[in-house]
Amino acid sequence: MYDDIYRRGSINRPPTPDAEDDQIQEKQLTFQEIIDIKLIESGEKERLKELLRERLIECGWRDEMKALCRAFAQKKGRDNVTLDDLVQLLTPKGRASVPDSVKAELLQRIRSFLASAAI
Amino acid sequence: MTRRNNPPYTNPKPCEHLSDYKLKHGFNGYKSLQKFIRTTPNGRTSLENPNTKVPTCDSCNGYRGRFYFCLVCSSISCSDHVLFHNQSRNGHDIAVDVERAELFCIVCRDQVYDPDFDKAVMSKHRIDMPNVESDGKSIGERLCKRKKSGSGFGVVDQMRDLKGPKESALMRDQRAKSCYPLGLRGLNNLGNTCFMNSVLQAMLHAPPLRSYFLTNQHNRETCRKRSVDRLCLPCDIDGIFSAVFSGDRPPYSPAQFLYSWWQHSANLASYEQQDAHEFFISLLDGIHEKEGKIRNRNRENGDCQCIAHRGFSGLLRSDVTCMTCGFTSTTYDPYVDISLNLDTSNYSMTDVAKKPIKPNESSSISTLLGCLDLFTRPEKLGSDQKLYCQNCQERQDSSKQMSIRRLPLVLCLHIKRFEHSLISKMSRKIDRYLHFPFSLDMTPYLSSSIVRNRFGNRIFAFEGDESDISTEFEILAVVTHSGTLESGHYVTYLRLRNQWYKCDDAWITEVDEEIVRASQCYMMFYVQKMLYHKADENMSHLTTSSKEEALHRVAGFS
Repeated sequence: MYDDIYRRGSINRPPTPDAEDDQIQEKQLTFQEIIDIKLIESGEKERLKELLRERLIECGWRDEMKALCRAFAQKKGRDNVTLDDLVQLLTPKGRASVPDSVKAELLQRIRSFLASAAI
Repeated sequence: MTRRNNPPYTNPKPCEHLSDYKLKHGFNGYKSLQKFIRTTPNGRTSLENPNTKVPTCDSCNGYRGRFYFCLVCSSISCSDHVLFHNQSRNGHDIAVDVERAELFCIVCRDQVYDPDFDKAVMSKHRIDMPNVESDGKSIGERLCKRKKSGSGFGVVDQMRDLKGPKESALMRDQRAKSCYPLGLRGLNNLGNTCFMNSVLQAMLHAPPLRSYFLTNQHNRETCRKRSVDRLCLPCDIDGIFSAVFSGDRPPYSPAQFLYSWWQHSANLASYEQQDAHEFFISLLDGIHEKEGKIRNRNRENGDCQCIAHRGFSGLLRSDVTCMTCGFTSTTYDPYVDISLNLDTSNYSMTDVAKKPIKPNESSSISTLLGCLDLFTRPEKLGSDQKLYCQNCQERQDSSKQMSIRRLPLVLCLHIKRFEHSLISKMSRKIDRYLHFPFSLDMTPYLSSSIVRNRFGNRIFAFEGDESDISTEFEILAVVTHSGTLESGHYVTYLRLRNQWYKCDDAWITEVDEEIVRASQCYMMFYVQKMLYHKADENMSHLTTSSKEEALHRVAGFS
């Protein structure tokens, strides 16, 4: 019986927006945005960030980034370095050198969160 | 590397926009911010408006990226729109990074620093606030007080009077040996006593100890008359100093000392192999037992003045932080050496700037600095080790962090290479190579550095900025171990007047520094830089013969 329902295309159409919704100029949130907000509101994002910090310190990633900054500042001159410079310098290298084990652990945590938050 | 000329913590000059802001608004912005400041137990501070959990940009409603809280009008802008905010309003130049609680100048597009802002932020942290007396200077200025600079000994490059053959033979050429500096003499192995010989060689050249005994501050005659107790380790040590610095070159047998030491440490009295570190501790203990009573007679409190403690003793600080409320309790403990776990992180420091390094690669070397980092890193105590928090009034998950409050004249670093597993009741040795520097700056491991770093880039004076402590050390001796737990051998490398000597029981040879660098270090003796160079100078002005005379006169031995 349920197979029939799923085969009917009409079921899968997005619901017709109610009249009131047109007046309120609200941006429709994407799925990703919903998750993000839920992560922040529940405090889980903060906990995940803390975990990430810990792991990145443990494996020496942060020291590596510090060394990069120092080398850059020495070359460019201490007073000629801005925050933007450093962000631009570090972002590609930093992202690329996060250990796979750390990525895996965080993904696992996020999955558990999603499961428990019943999204 | 670095910053020889720059004090570690200077107060950066404010940009003109920050100065203007301060002139116009004073501390109003900072004070009104205090109610939004939220701190976590591990030292991170952020701004949080309890009404709006998720900060959003007033311009675009975005919630991603960095957010800046304008100190003039309290509006929040994301990094894309903060410039727009500044350009459309006059004077709204200074903002606060919401996630980090740090000052940001929108016009300069860069972080700026203000000790008064940091003070406002730090007052929200649950730490023991020191009673900082204001003597008119700002916190930043007080922090800038330069550490006492070295008295200008510099790097003394001693010219050797005589050049001995590089591949000096052992017993054969006595003439070659006579050009060795005074105080180099082999010690015979009396039956697995290399653990003792290796440590003795280091102690014979540790400046405070060496001066003490060579200037006859422990006089054997006086000692014999003073105490009925015939057993006196310092007397026997004095005997070794006399023998080694006498100018005689044939290897010496420290039998009397060994016998005395057996009496003192009865549990270690055997011909079995012992641990050099254990011996070192018991040696200092033996000196302290005898000397402590005499030297401390007139002082009720304060630090022990025996030569063992005067040379090797320092102070460790331990901070235990409650992970629930952030309350930190601090204790101090003395030490005569620091035992370090080997840093086994998968990470290499080579050439970071030039080529991309993946931490997953197995090109990893353990370094002494890595071990010291590990030692001073905050350690989350397991949930089976909950400690009682005074503030919460119950046991909570805690974090512990060690740091060095006071450095000794001679810093002994011990690498924990012998692992004992409680589970399998087995012990094993960790052979992993450890890279160590010849010059060591201990600044990053001081309590002031560690505690300051806990709270990020804050300009804030913590109790006792150890501005009177000299933190630069030079390596004096390395005690190395080769072999297994059950059957191994200790060898000491000594650096005298910029030349390395290998002390392998009775055999002393010159070696190149590469050999030393490649060795498996077990205990390292670092001496404060000034003391190291001064000691070198003192010894080098005498020729061998006149040294002998001097010693006969001064030390009074036959």
